[in-house]
Amino acid sequence: MATTNNVINKSTDDPVLQWVTFRLEGETYGINVMQVQEVLRYSEIAPVPGAPSYVLGIINLRGNVVTVIDTRHRFNLQGGEITDNTRIVIIETEKHVIGILVDSVAEVVYLRQSEIEMAPNVGNEESAKFIQGVCHKNDELLILIDLNKLLSSEEWSELEDL
Amino acid sequence: MSQKYSPQEALQHYFEELLAEDDQPAIQYAEPDPVQQQKLEKLLQSAQPKIIAAPEPEVAAPVAEIQEWEIPAPALETVAAPEAVAVPPEPAPVVTAPDLEPEAEEPEPGKLEESHYTVEGLAWAANGRPVWAQKDFDVLLFQVSGLTLAVPLIALGQIQPLTDELTPLFGQADWFMGLLPSPTGKIRTVNTARFVMPERYDENFVKTAKYVISIDGVPWGLAVDSVNQPITLKPTDVKWRTERTKRPWLAGTVKDHMCALLDIPMVGQMLIDADRNSPGGKSSVKPH
Repeated sequence: MATTNNVINKSTDDPVLQWVTFRLEGETYGINVMQVQEVLRYSEIAPVPGAPSYVLGIINLRGNVVTVIDTRHRFNLQGGEITDNTRIVIIETEKHVIGILVDSVAEVVYLRQSEIEMAPNVGNEESAKFIQGVCHKNDELLILIDLNKLLSSEEWSELEDL
Repeated sequence: MSQKYSPQEALQHYFEELLAEDDQPAIQYAEPDPVQQQKLEKLLQSAQPKIIAAPEPEVAAPVAEIQEWEIPAPALETVAAPEAVAVPPEPAPVVTAPDLEPEAEEPEPGKLEESHYTVEGLAWAANGRPVWAQKDFDVLLFQVSGLTLAVPLIALGQIQPLTDELTPLFGQADWFMGLLPSPTGKIRTVNTARFVMPERYDENFVKTAKYVISIDGVPWGLAVDSVNQPITLKPTDVKWRTERTKRPWLAGTVKDHMCALLDIPMVGQMLIDADRNSPGGKSSVKPH
C-alpha cells in the first residue's frame, strides 16, 4: 500500500506533460500540446499592410481570421523557404488564437516535469525569454517554448487592431 | 616614439605581436607531473576527436561584450598565503585597494547581477595572487584561434569532443555557442575566441573548435581548438595582473610561454552572473 501511495505521489509531484514538437532552422522545438488547436498545411497567407514585422499575415480558418506569426523572425532566425513540410500551427494562448509558421511538425512527446531543465539566458535579446526550458529526448535536445511569452501584452493589442 | 595604449589595445597589441613572432624558438615544455599527465590522458581518452563542423551560432544583435564589463576586483581577502613570505615581491604594490587604483571604475548599477552562488577560488590573497596560485600549480595549455591560453588544472572538469550535437539557442549572447550533451549533463558552451578576443574574432573558430573544456562546479565550458600537455608553474612564473576591473577573467601572463593565464574561477563566476535564469544555488549546477 505504501508503495502504491509513493508511486501516486511521485506521479503527482512529477507530472507527465505532452509537447508537440516542430522543426525550425534545423532545431527541434516543443510547445505544450494543450495550447495546440490544430496543424494546417501551408496555405496562402494574406499580408496585412502596416502590420508589425513579426506578422506574416492572416489566413481564413473556417470563417475566422487568424493572424500568422513569423516564428523565424520572432526567434531571430534567418528566413527560410516554404516547402511541402511547412505547417501553420494554430495555437491558443490565454486570450488569443494565432498561427505560427514552422518548417515542419514532428510528433508528440511525453516529458516528465523533472526532465525539463532551465535554459541559460545570457545576452540582451528579448527573445530568450520565450525559452521555457530544454530537455534531452530521443538523442536530441528539445527547446521548449513558452507560448504565453511569445508576444507582449502590447503586441497582443497590436494584433487585435490589425 | 612611445605610444600610449588603453588596456584593451595593449592586450590586442600584445596578442598581435605574439602572433607575428614566427621565428620564435619552440617552446620547451617542462616534464609534466605523471599524476597530472595520467589525469589528462584519462580525460582525453573519453574525448574522441571528431572533426565535425559545429553549427553556426545564433547571430544575435550586438550586445555588450562580456569582456567589456567593468566589475570591481574582488576585495583583497585576508587569505593566509602560506610560504608567500619568502616569495619575491611583485612589481605592483599589492596593498593597493581596488577602489584606489587609478583605472578602477565603479560598475554601473545592474550591469552585473548579484549571484547567489559564488564559485570557489575567486579570492586573491594580499600577495597579489589568486588563492589557487599560492604554491606551484598545474595549468593546461590550449589553443584558441591560434592563441595559446593557460588555465589552472584544478578548476577544470572534463574534456568533451565538440560534435554536431551542440544545439544553439536563439536569443543568447553571441559568445554562447549552444548546449552540448555530455554524460554528466548539458555543457553550456562558450565561444572562447569571441569571449576572450572579440576584436580579433575569426568566424572559422566554430569550424576549427574540437573540444569543450568544462569548468568545475558550473555548467559551463570553453570551446577550444586543441589541448596540450599540462605544465607546472611556480607563482613567480606568472606576471600577475594588479588591475582586474577590466577583463577580470585574465589572471596574468605566463612569462616563459608568453600566453594569457585565465582566472578560471572568475570566468565561471562571470558566466553564472551573466545568466539571468541562474537560480544561484549550487544544486542547480549539478547535472541531474
